[in-house]
Formats: sequence, C-alpha cells, structure tokens
Amino acid sequence: MHRAPRRSLRLPKFALALPSWGYYVAFFLVPVVLIIFYSFGTKIPGSAGRTEFSPLTLDRYRDAIKPTFFVVLQQTMRISITGTLLCLIIGFPVAYFMAIRIPARWRGIFLGVLIIPFWTNFLIRTIAWRIVLSPVGFLSNWLQDIGMRDSNIQVLNTKAAVQLGVVYNYLPLMIFPLFVTLDRLEPALREASKDLGASRLKTFLQVTLPLCAPGVIAGLLLVFIPLSGDYITAAVLGGADGNMSGALVASQFLQAQNQALGSAIAVMLMGSILLVIAIVAIISFAFKAVLHRMRKVDIPGTRGDDLAVATNG
Amino acid sequence: MVRRRRIDTISLSLGAWAAIVLVFLYLPILFIVVHSFSDSNALTRWGGFTTDWYGKLFENQQLKDTITNSFKVALYSSPISVVFGGLAGVALARRPGSWTKGFLAVIFLILVTPEIVDAIGLQVWFVEVGGPFVQPSVPFMRSLFPIVVGHAIFSSAVVTLIVRARMAGLDDALEEAAADLYATPRRAFFQITLPLIFPALLAGGLLAFTFSLDNVVISQFTGRPGSSTFPLYVFGKVRSVLRPDLAAASTLILLATLVALGSVVFVLRRSGDSSSEIAATLTGGG
Amino acid sequence: MTKILIPQVTAERLKAQLNRRHFLALSGATAAAAFLAACGDDEKKPGTTGSTMGGKVDKNINLFTWADYDDEELLNSWGGLTIDIYGSNEEAIQKLAAAKGSSGYDVVVPTGVFIPQMVSEDLLQKLDLSKIPNFKNLDVAYTNQAWDQGNQYSVCKDWGSTGFMYDNRVITTPIVTWADFLAACEGPASGQVSVLDTPGNLCGLYFWANGIDWTTEDPAHLDAAEDYLVNTLAKHIKAFDSYPGVTLVEGNYVLSQAWNGDARMGYIAHEGAGGDPADYSWALGGPVTELWMDNWAIVKGAPNPDGAHDFINFILDQDNSVKDLEFHGYNTGMADIASLLPDDLPYADMIFFEDAQVATMHAGAVNSAQDRLVEIYNNTKAAAGA
Repeated sequence: MHRAPRRSLRLPKFALALPSWGYYVAFFLVPVVLIIFYSFGTKIPGSAGRTEFSPLTLDRYRDAIKPTFFVVLQQTMRISITGTLLCLIIGFPVAYFMAIRIPARWRGIFLGVLIIPFWTNFLIRTIAWRIVLSPVGFLSNWLQDIGMRDSNIQVLNTKAAVQLGVVYNYLPLMIFPLFVTLDRLEPALREASKDLGASRLKTFLQVTLPLCAPGVIAGLLLVFIPLSGDYITAAVLGGADGNMSGALVASQFLQAQNQALGSAIAVMLMGSILLVIAIVAIISFAFKAVLHRMRKVDIPGTRGDDLAVATNG
Repeated sequence: MVRRRRIDTISLSLGAWAAIVLVFLYLPILFIVVHSFSDSNALTRWGGFTTDWYGKLFENQQLKDTITNSFKVALYSSPISVVFGGLAGVALARRPGSWTKGFLAVIFLILVTPEIVDAIGLQVWFVEVGGPFVQPSVPFMRSLFPIVVGHAIFSSAVVTLIVRARMAGLDDALEEAAADLYATPRRAFFQITLPLIFPALLAGGLLAFTFSLDNVVISQFTGRPGSSTFPLYVFGKVRSVLRPDLAAASTLILLATLVALGSVVFVLRRSGDSSSEIAATLTGGG
Repeated sequence: MTKILIPQVTAERLKAQLNRRHFLALSGATAAAAFLAACGDDEKKPGTTGSTMGGKVDKNINLFTWADYDDEELLNSWGGLTIDIYGSNEEAIQKLAAAKGSSGYDVVVPTGVFIPQMVSEDLLQKLDLSKIPNFKNLDVAYTNQAWDQGNQYSVCKDWGSTGFMYDNRVITTPIVTWADFLAACEGPASGQVSVLDTPGNLCGLYFWANGIDWTTEDPAHLDAAEDYLVNTLAKHIKAFDSYPGVTLVEGNYVLSQAWNGDARMGYIAHEGAGGDPADYSWALGGPVTELWMDNWAIVKGAPNPDGAHDFINFILDQDNSVKDLEFHGYNTGMADIASLLPDDLPYADMIFFEDAQVATMHAGAVNSAQDRLVEIYNNTKAAAGA
C-alpha cells in the first residue's frame, strides 16, 4: 500500500485480451483456416472420409457451384433475406410501441414478457411449431370447425413453414436492439421537430427513423447472420424443402464423407454472408448520405460508424 | 395531476399489433406446455390429460443424462466466456491501441461465421490435436471438454462486446480516483472496475448459459460418447419419433429458466438499473 | 451377394413355427428347450444367461446406434449405457473414421453390407465369441453371413425389409410394386411422399422399379437413376424421413417408403390414437426389395471391450431379445423365436415374412458405386429443396 502507485503496468496494453487472443487463435482461426485448406483437397475415392491435398485443386468449388448445390445457396439467401426483412417489418412497430408509446413503468414488464419466449430452448420452440401446425392438431381442427378450411392444414414440411419458423426464432433479436435504440432517443428531438412545424410523418421519417438507423442495422445483422447459417429450424420444419446450405455442409461431413466438398460449400456460405453484409453496409451508407442531404439541420448521433455500433449489438 | 395520455388510433393499432406478436411468440410455448400433459404416445397429437410424462421423465436415464450434460456444459462454458470476454472487454474499453482493430476484426469474424463452419473446423482440428480432445481424461469435464471449448468461443465474443459497451458508457473518473488514492491496480480492479461491470458480466454469463443450452450444431460435431446434450437428444428424436416426455422436460427447463431470469432481474434491480437498462443488458444491447 | 440370408428351409421352418405359435405357447418351454438342444452346438447349458465373467465386468459402455432402436428399460436393466444415435451407416462410419480410433464408442450397429468397409478401414475389433455364449441362441440362418464369415466382427441384431405404407383413403388404387410406388409419387401422392433418408434406399427405389440389380456398378445405370431421381422424383418428395410411420398416420404424408418395424409403429400409434388401421395399407415393395441385417459390433479402440461383450451377450439372451423385438418390431433372429413370443404380439405379420416374400428380398452391397450413390442422394436432396 505504501509503494508509489504505478499508473500503468509494464504489461502491454493488450495484456488483458491475451487469454482471448490465444483462445481465438487456437479454437477459431486455426480451425477456420483448416477448413479453407480442406476446401482445396480431394476425397480419396472409396475411403471413409479421408482427404488428400496433392495436388491442391479448385475442383471442389466447381462442384459447389453446380446447379444442384448453388440453387440451395440461393434459396438459403432468399429465406434469410426475406426472414430478416419480415422480422424488421413485424418487429419495428412492436419496438416503437414499447419504447415510445407506452408509459416507462410498463416497459420493463412488457420487455420481460417478450424475453421469456427467447429464453425458451431454441430447438423446443421450433419443435413446438410441429405441434401447432400438425395436420391433425388443434389449430387445424379449429380452422375447419370455424369453416375457414375444409381440409387439414398442410403447412409442415414446406418452405412456408421454414420461413415462419425462422421469423419466429429470430424476431426477438430484431426487437431488442430496436427497442434499446428507440428507448434512448431524446423525446426532446421529436418535440422540437413538432414545434418547428413538422408533421408527425415528417418527424418520424426525418428524425426518428434516421436516429434509429444504428438499431435497425444492428437488428438486421443480429437476425441475418445466425439465420443464414441456421439449418436446424429448416430441418425440423421444412422436410425435403428445408435444405439450407448449412445442412449441405453437415451432410457432406456426416453422410457423404466428403470433407473437401463440405468445406468448399462452407467457405462459399461464409462468403455469401460477408457479401450480403457488405451490400447492406454500402446501402445504409448511401441511404444516410441521401437523408443527410435532404435534411437542413444536422442531428447529433446520426453520423458515426453504424457497423461498429452494430457489432456492439 | 396526472395528465391522461391521449389514446389515438396509431397507438391503438400499434398496441393491437404488439398484442398479436405476443400471441405469436407464446402460441408454440403454450402448445408445448399443454402437450406435456397429453396422454398420447406422439407429441403432436393430443390424447387426453395425464401427468404421467413427468413421472416417466425421472425414469428415463438417457434423458436425465443428457439434461445433466447440458447443464454441466453450460456451467463450465459460461464462466470461461465471462472471464475471457470480461478481460478482453475491459482491455478494449480502457487500453485501446493499435491492437484493437485486429482484435475487433476477429470478434466480428466470430460473430458472422455460421456455427456449422466452426463446428466442422473444430471437428477436424480436435482430431488433429488429439490429447484431451479425444480422451475422456480431462478432470471434471471428462468427455464434455471439447463441447465446452466449442461453446465458449461465440459466447466469449458476445461477452467481450457487452462488457466493452458497458465500460464505454462509464466515466473512468472512479478508476482514476482510485489510482490517485494509491490503490494498487489489482485493488482498483476488484473494488472499482469489477463492481461497475458486474451487471454486464452477469448478463453476459446468462446469455452464454442460454447459448450453450440451445446449441445443437457445435455439440453435434465436437461431441464425444457420453457427452450427448439435451438438444442433441431432442434433435435425434426429431428424426425418429417425438414423445410428450420431451415437452415435460422442456416445461421444467422453462420453469428453471424463469426462476434464473427472475433472480437476475432482481439482482440487477438491486444494483440500481432501470428496467430499460436491465432489458438492454439482458438482451446484449450494451 | 444376393440371397445370402435365410435359406428356403429356414424360411419355411419359420413360417411353420409361426403358424403353430399358439400351440407352442401352450406346450410351454419344453419344446423350446428340446429344439434348442437339437440345434445348439456348444457345451453350455441352455438357459445360462447373464455375465460370463463372474459379474466383475464394468457395466458402463457407450453405444452408437440408430434412433429408437432398443427398449431403453431393457438396456438400463443391463447397466449404464450412454447412447448416441446416427441416421445412416455412412454417418456412423464417418464419425468413427474421423476420430481415428479414438471415438470412445464401445458398440456400434452397422448394417451387414457395410461391415467389410469398416473392417478394411480398421474401425471394428474382432469379437471373442467365447465371451458371448448366448451367440448360440441365434438361428444359424442368421450367422456366418457373406459379409462377415465366421462372425468374426459382428453378430445379428435384427433384420428387416423395406416397403411402403400409404393412406388408402387418398391413394385408392392399390400399390404393389416399386413402379406403382413411383407412379403414385408422380400422381395422387405428389408432394405428400416421404422416402427413406439413406443413399442406398433412395437409389434402390429406381433400381427396384426398373428391374436393375440394386448392387449395380454400371455407370449408365447410375446416371439413369440420378437423372430420374433428381429431375423427376425430387419435386414430388415432401421429406427424407427414415422413421415416417408415426408421422404418416398423423396426416403429414400420404405415402411413405418405410422399414417394416417403423411402419408397424405407425399402425400401433394410429390405433392408439383411436384410428382405424384399415385407413392405411402396408406392402413390401415388389417385384424385389431390400433385405438388411443390422449387427452388433465392437468398435476398434473401445474403452470397455469386456463390457461390450457382456452387453452383446445380454441382448442375445432369449427373453431380452424378445423384449427388444416387441419394442422395435424387427426379427431378432433367435432360433425358435415363435415359442418365445407373446400371444398378443400386434402386427406380427409385419415382423415375420412368408418365404415367398423373403425370396423377393436382396441385400445391397457396398462397392465401387458407393460414392456415386451418396452423390446422387445429395443431389436429389438438393433438388427436392429447390
């Protein structure tokens, strides 16, 4: 206690992050590099999953862009992007309602009520939809009783079921960051906009919306990233229609014993996800630039690096 | 005088929409709970009321084993995530430097990498490394070790960001003051910094815990004999026949989760957070 | 590789036994014991069960097997098993091979035709039959198979066949052959069909329907199968489901390719839910169909080989075998099985086949076409999901 305090340890600045660094190198970077390496290999014919690496070849990528596999990648991206946008459309009004329209003391309770489903086991809540959508289940019978349908519902094992399942599973991940952002908005800004004669719509479009852009982007990323890699939801609800790229990778590893092709598909899946993120980043940048030019006053907090905020999500 | 809020059509329709979304979110959970009391051999078909499945739950050794495994994996992997992520988060917030960019890039990569890519990478890599990853010789964790390692990767990255966000929002005046008052760095850390980031650590740990309980893919590819987790058991049943005992198990797990969640909210409230702050922390919103 | 199982004599004997099941059940165990003594070829007294190693065996093993394949109560009565499951032989082999001998599993249940590949990949270890005295309980028809002569690596767990089950309220014309099956897929059952989730069974559909030996290695046949499955059949498939029985009777499919034991579970579930079994029809596919035998085998590098032997011996005990049979609905290959069965075994005709039926069953093969079959299977799955 009587020593002179050392304002800074002699340790380098990143010392506290060293355990993580080591962990990520050993269990994330190396395995991912290994997968990239495997994607240039070839399965030894007739063997139970052994791969050879001489010569290294791009043939697995040629296999992976054959129509049969590429169609699945396209479908994965379609379901992911549609699902993410649906989450935004469904989730934004809920977050807006919670953050701005209901009294503060109710907010916590409302949020708690929203969080509980999210904390229910992922697989179980997906399987639950099998019960809900069962052709001989309660919903099906009820719809027939009230005369809305004259036969059993046939939603399970279709793309519609997959789309429904992913929206259900990832919707909370959209609502939470939107709520947090909207909740932190200064009401004064909206009041000011109103006082200055802006209509409600104009206030919403020119003040509220730009201010919650970071939340929107965080939500889009938080939903899109896990969704596009998720094949469990599709496997549970989609039947033959539930073939996502992730499932192809798993199947190449588990069934086909072709680790090289599985790795190539995995690398392409990762590439597609990064590509979509890059496109979103560019669009949001352009969008902000346009909004900014339309607006007369600069509002603090709408500039900044959205991607950085998003990764903070 | 409390001024009545003006209830307009926009608020009403937004409220109605929120109510519909809530019904949507709760519908499947309601079905699961109801069907845990179904006297039917198939989960998806209702067959009259019974509580038998709850009794059978305790006779099903395999189900009990997998649930135990799941909780063990979660209990081992969340502290790893909290310690690694917490330290890294503090470093990012308080000791930024040229290293920050590269580190954040890795975090970003971890967050955008699909689970399946991690999973196959780890499967191939663990076999290469051998040792504790293929032998059930690791103390305490035994055959669960590889799964624990796998689960902590994503979670620790999330904890890092939560802690960093929490610290970035706090003035470092307190830490400065502690240093001025001759506290050793160690003492300043334990007496000032740690209490400050405690809510973030708690929330991060809880998130890591649920991520681990939910995980299918990493467990499937890194699993060893005897390390089968509850989701893996359930996923196997998806491919064969689902029975209401799974609903009964899920209902009990849901109850346990609610208790855990409730106590965390209680602790956070004691530490002075507003409900919005609690919400932000619990959802990883920083 | 064809007709390796069940010589005609055995099939007839089996049938005869089944027909006089009630008589045998009444006459009690005497007849059974006499029969056993007649065909038993070892010195041990019939009826000796339990541990062969004086009860000092570590009764904790890791079992790697198919889903829902054993009566868990029965397994737990032996000792502590941890069970992991796989969905196809390919999956099991991949997992064992990827671990390079350190998988940690003790017992695995491969289908017979995959055993030579597993042996050549060094994934199995030789059995010590002296530690499995109950081996003698197996009907000789199910021992010494072509894929594992002398039962060096495996013993029969159970065997069965492949057929289809359909909702005859929707499909009103009876389906008899695999060609009918495919026609129904493209016709009334389109979009409501499930097929088995393994490469062999999927490709088998085409070969069986078109009179091609399903062990073919002819590239032209394989290409034709791929063309049909990917471009024609895929879009009619609703799910790749190896256990469609119960799902079918819940109205999710109208036509399913299914293994006999699983289809039987579907009937039992349907009846249990108050349904009329007459709503569904079951048939073995004609003119030819699959014959498969799953086998107990011990994994190379098993942590507890003694326990594994003891477990296999336990499960080959007559009473235990019958208990298991009642659960999974496949013939466990016990000698004189008829005398062991309970009188009220439901849908016994889906477990035990007539010799005319058995004559139409052929085992598959794991040969140079294997990689191609898996490729066709993956492509069909991709096309079905598009």
